[in-house]
Amino acid sequence: MLGNGMMNRQRYMPGDSLSGDKAIPAAFAPDQGSVAGDSRANHAPSVNRLATKAAIVGMACLMAACSTTPPDERTDERDTFENANRSIYDFNMKADTYVLEPAADLYRSSVPEGGQRAVDQHLRWAAMPSTAINSTLQGKFENAGLATLNFLVNGLTLGFADLTNDEDTIEQEDFGQTLAAYKTPQGPYVMMPLLGPRTGRALAGNVVDFAMNPLRVFGSGKEVRALRQAQAPVGAVSFRAKTFDAFNEVKYNAIDPYARTRSFYYQTRLGLLEDRVTGASTTSEDAFEFLFDE
Amino acid sequence: MNSSPITTPIIIPASAALRSIVMPGLLALTMVICGMIAPVPAAATDQQDAATAVVEALISDVEALLEVKDASMDDRRSAITALLDAHFAMDTIAAFSTGPYWRAATPEERDEYKRVFREVLVSTILGNFDQLYGLEYTAGKATPKGDRFVVVSGIFADTTGARPQVAVNWRVITRKGKPIKLFDIEIENLSLLVTQQQENVAVIRKNKGRFSALIDVIRDRIPAQ
Repeated sequence: MLGNGMMNRQRYMPGDSLSGDKAIPAAFAPDQGSVAGDSRANHAPSVNRLATKAAIVGMACLMAACSTTPPDERTDERDTFENANRSIYDFNMKADTYVLEPAADLYRSSVPEGGQRAVDQHLRWAAMPSTAINSTLQGKFENAGLATLNFLVNGLTLGFADLTNDEDTIEQEDFGQTLAAYKTPQGPYVMMPLLGPRTGRALAGNVVDFAMNPLRVFGSGKEVRALRQAQAPVGAVSFRAKTFDAFNEVKYNAIDPYARTRSFYYQTRLGLLEDRVTGASTTSEDAFEFLFDE
Repeated sequence: MNSSPITTPIIIPASAALRSIVMPGLLALTMVICGMIAPVPAAATDQQDAATAVVEALISDVEALLEVKDASMDDRRSAITALLDAHFAMDTIAAFSTGPYWRAATPEERDEYKRVFREVLVSTILGNFDQLYGLEYTAGKATPKGDRFVVVSGIFADTTGARPQVAVNWRVITRKGKPIKLFDIEIENLSLLVTQQQENVAVIRKNKGRFSALIDVIRDRIPAQ
C-alpha cells in the first residue's frame, strides 16, 4: 500500500490493489474501473464475463426498472436508489461470504508476501495507461509523464517487478475523475452486483478505463488472454486479502455496514477527485459548521 | 515528563475498521516515539503550537501506557478511559457523531448515548490494544483551519517493517476560551468521525428519526465484561 517502502509510492485508496481499469468485485471495493479482459475468442464462461453481465443487468435494473427511493425513506439524500442498492449490497455480502472471503483468506495465508506484492505491482502497472491518459486530459502532465515512464519501464516485467527508482508519488487517475474535472454531474450512487459501489459518473468512466487495459490493447495470444482474464478475479482476491480485517470489521461489526461502505466510498472518491495526497485533510470545514451554531 | 499514569488516547475512532483499512492487523492508533518525549508547554499561546502539543502529549502518554506490561484489563480500561477524557473533546465528538439529531435528543438520551458511545470506544481500543506495539510516529506540519481547528499531520510507521506506513491527520479543536483537545482523526483521507456520523444518522433515519434506536443498537455492541 502506501509505499511499502517502495521508491515509487503510488497513491490509491486504502486497501486498494490498484488497478484503475479492473473491477474489484466486492461490495466494499473502491472504484477500480471496468471488468477486465473479455476475449471474444474465448467462448468458455468466465468470471469476467459474469461480472460484466452482472454489471449490465444491475445497471439496467436500477435505471429502468427500479423506482427511486422516496427522499423521506433515504438515509442519505445522495442515495437515490437506496432500497435497491441495499438489496444488491446484501447479495454482494453473500457472495463475499461464500466465495471471496474464503478465497482471500487462503490467498493471504498461502501466497508468500513477495508473490502478493508482485500481484499488486502488476495490477498497479496495468492501471498506468489509464492514469497517463486521464492525467493528460486533466492537464496533470507531470503525473502523466511519471505514469508513462512507470508503464514503459515496468512493462519489461509486465509490472510484476517494479524496476523504477522514482521517489515521486503517482496519483491514480481514471476517466471518472476526468469527467469530474470537466464538471460532469456525479449521478446517483449505485451499488453494482459484484463490482461494489459507484456513482453514475464513475461507472461511465469505468467503461472507458476498461478499454485502456494494456493487455487488451497490446496483448495477443493465449498467455496474454489468460493473464487478462485472471486480472479481475485475482485483483478482487488480492484487494480482499489486503483489507481482510478491515473489511470484516465493517461487514460483521458495523451498526450499518451499508451506510459505512457508502461513507467510505464517497470520502475516498472525494480524496481522489481533489487529488488529496496522503496526509492532506479531506474533510471539508463545512462538515463541522453546525457544531458551532448556537 | 509529566505523565499522568494513564492518559493515552489512542484515538477517537469510533470505528476500528478504518485503522485496519490502512494497516492490516492494526486496529488502533498508538504510537511509540522512539526516544522522544515531548513535554506539554505550560502555556501554549500559538494555535498551531498548542494543537501540536496536544498530539505530542497523546503520543507520550500512550507510550507510557504501553510500557506497563502487566496491567490488568480493568486497569487498562480505566487508563484508556482517562486518556480519552484528558485528550479528546468527548462531548463535542458525541454531539457531532449524531449530526442534526443531537439537538432533538432529550438530555437523558444524550447522557445515555455519551455513556454507551464511550463504552464501545473503550472496549474497541482495549480489544485491539496489542496492535499498538511497534509503532513509531513522525510528526508533520500543523495547519490552521479557520480559528476553530488545527489539523496536525503525521505518519505512523511499523518499526519492524511488517506493516505499511500510514498517514494520519489529527483534527484539534482550538476554540478560544475552551480546552484544546483532539476531535477527529483522518486516516488516508477517511475521517473516522464523519464516517461514524453518517452511519449513526443512517441508523436513526432507518428508525423513523428515533434517537433511542441508535442508543439501543450501540448498547448491543458493548461486550460483556
